[in-house]
Amino acid sequence: MERKKEIKQPLLEIRDLFASTENLTILKGVNIKINPGEIHAIMGRNGCGKSTLSKIIAGHPSYEITSGQIELCGKDIEPLEPEERAQSGIFLGFQYPIEIPGVSNLEFLRVATNARRKFQKKEELDTFEFEELVKEKLDIVKMDSAFLSRSINQGFSGGEKKRNEILQMALLEPKIAILDETDSGLDIDALRIVASGIKKIANKNSGIILITHYQRLLDEIKPDFVHVMADGKIIKTGDSNLALELEKNGYDWTDEFINKK
Amino acid sequence: MNIIESITKSDKNISDYKSNLQKISLDKLRVNPIPSSKNEIWRQTNKSKFYRFLDFKFNNDFYYPQIPGNTKNHNICRIIIGENKKIKFKEKKWEIKELEEKEIYNFLEQKIIQSDTTQNWSNLLNHFLTDRKNIIGLNISGKEIPSLEIICNSMTNFLNSKTLLVNIEEETSVSISQINIGDKNSALSISTYFNIGKESVVNHGIISFGNNKSHIINTLNVRQHKNSEYILGSLQYEYDFARLEININQVEGNAKTNIKGIQITKNNEQISTYANISFNGPNGFLDQLNKSLANDKSHSVFEGLIIVPQIAQKTDASQLSRNLLLSNYAKIDTKPQLEIVADDVKCMHGATISQLNEDEVFYMRSRGLTLEEASKLQLRSYYQEIISFLPISKERWDLLALLLKDK
Repeated sequence: MERKKEIKQPLLEIRDLFASTENLTILKGVNIKINPGEIHAIMGRNGCGKSTLSKIIAGHPSYEITSGQIELCGKDIEPLEPEERAQSGIFLGFQYPIEIPGVSNLEFLRVATNARRKFQKKEELDTFEFEELVKEKLDIVKMDSAFLSRSINQGFSGGEKKRNEILQMALLEPKIAILDETDSGLDIDALRIVASGIKKIANKNSGIILITHYQRLLDEIKPDFVHVMADGKIIKTGDSNLALELEKNGYDWTDEFINKK
Repeated sequence: MNIIESITKSDKNISDYKSNLQKISLDKLRVNPIPSSKNEIWRQTNKSKFYRFLDFKFNNDFYYPQIPGNTKNHNICRIIIGENKKIKFKEKKWEIKELEEKEIYNFLEQKIIQSDTTQNWSNLLNHFLTDRKNIIGLNISGKEIPSLEIICNSMTNFLNSKTLLVNIEEETSVSISQINIGDKNSALSISTYFNIGKESVVNHGIISFGNNKSHIINTLNVRQHKNSEYILGSLQYEYDFARLEININQVEGNAKTNIKGIQITKNNEQISTYANISFNGPNGFLDQLNKSLANDKSHSVFEGLIIVPQIAQKTDASQLSRNLLLSNYAKIDTKPQLEIVADDVKCMHGATISQLNEDEVFYMRSRGLTLEEASKLQLRSYYQEIISFLPISKERWDLLALLLKDK
């Protein structure tokens, strides 16, 4: 994968973000900037605010931004509804993809793809055109077309659910994809398929945030930046070697950092 | 209440009713002119709506209904109750013909005599109201029968009453769609009797489709004989007041019953389903799912009862009620019940009431679907399970599109 590092307008810029849910402050001043073509990894202990950050970027209604900004291509996204954010190019790959019984995966993918295409001022696809497109994308994640006729994620294994997420990412062509623990629950083979899919989709115009606990995903997808999150903020940023360091030394040092503060 | 007055008024008027069936029904009704709200199957009934039903002026005249959906180019045998057309459809492998006058009379007379004035009040009311030209009796035999469509309708400002008797002979396989059309501000009473012969399969759909301020009381009485299979799909929609009473009796056991129904309420409507399934022999099977969806200030009721006496060993029965509450002001009452005496049976019942799942909605919105599109997709899946069970093709009448359009 070839990625050119150029100084452009950031795709996503988060400035001093504070956010809460049910009167509990979870994010306490997050700063991050993603430029086109960059892959960032966010690591940290359970409960440090990684998943909350991803949900806030995607516009989950249970969370409230109390201060700070999130900008997508220079535009404040706070007033946007979750679907407007998705249509604008934000994609959240769920840690636990939701099962929706009775809703056809194919129909759902088609409606979602057309919503994005409409925003991109591309022609919407009819059923036949969409089937052609989706078949092409299925190869990326080595999924069988039988998955399309099933209900969304219903009865899918953990690996199949994650592959379905990456299939959606491939179809929606987001500007920025936040993949929340996409590696969790995957065996080695499934991890390689998912990682290979992500690499195929990544391009110089889009950015990716990988939220993970483990080095094994980062062995497959080398990030440009690694951020360590603790107590609702990013406490350290480095290159891919930082992930190796974390793998070796764990997160105990983050407690000291928080206590010192 | 017009109807109650005509039940309770003096004897001299009885002779006004030409049919003996009407007279014996009237005698029965006089014992219990109006159901008591102490009776379980009437307890939840909205009195003002029920009294409104009884307040309509009764009318036995025929009025040609506007049949919904695409009525052309479908291989369908269509019967409109009250139209007074001769019914005889026959091919090499099958036959649909009218029952003899005497058969109809004897059958209904027996039914009326056996009727309990409390439990069978709706049937008794129907037999008191319905004149001969609004009763149809059919005998069906054979296989590869084209779909049969039976239409019942009510006229604006009137209460109409229709009775349908269907005898399905042994080793017959047939699909019957019963379409009840309620004109605006009207009321309809329907009693249906199915007698399903041994080794027969009946795929029955009841689509009750009302309009502004339509009312309906619909009773379905099914007797299943050995090795028969009865499949029922039902949809009740757009009625200010609707009541479906389902009584199924597996008279010898060893039969299969599959029921899937949905009732959709909005505004101030009340729609109820009462299901009473009796197993009177061993190895009976039942799989019943009743769904309801209540919006605005509406009220949806489901009461089910599975009766498994000692003789009904090895019965395998399931009755589930799944409900979606779409408004904080809507109300759902559901009560699936079991009455089991036999000791070697597998019976289950259950009920759920929920709202649209927020996690599912967010998941879909995070992929670019609007809140409305996400809700619509969820509702589509909710409806689809039942709609696909009805023996009416999408080409004939796209019910799913109709329901989603109205959302």
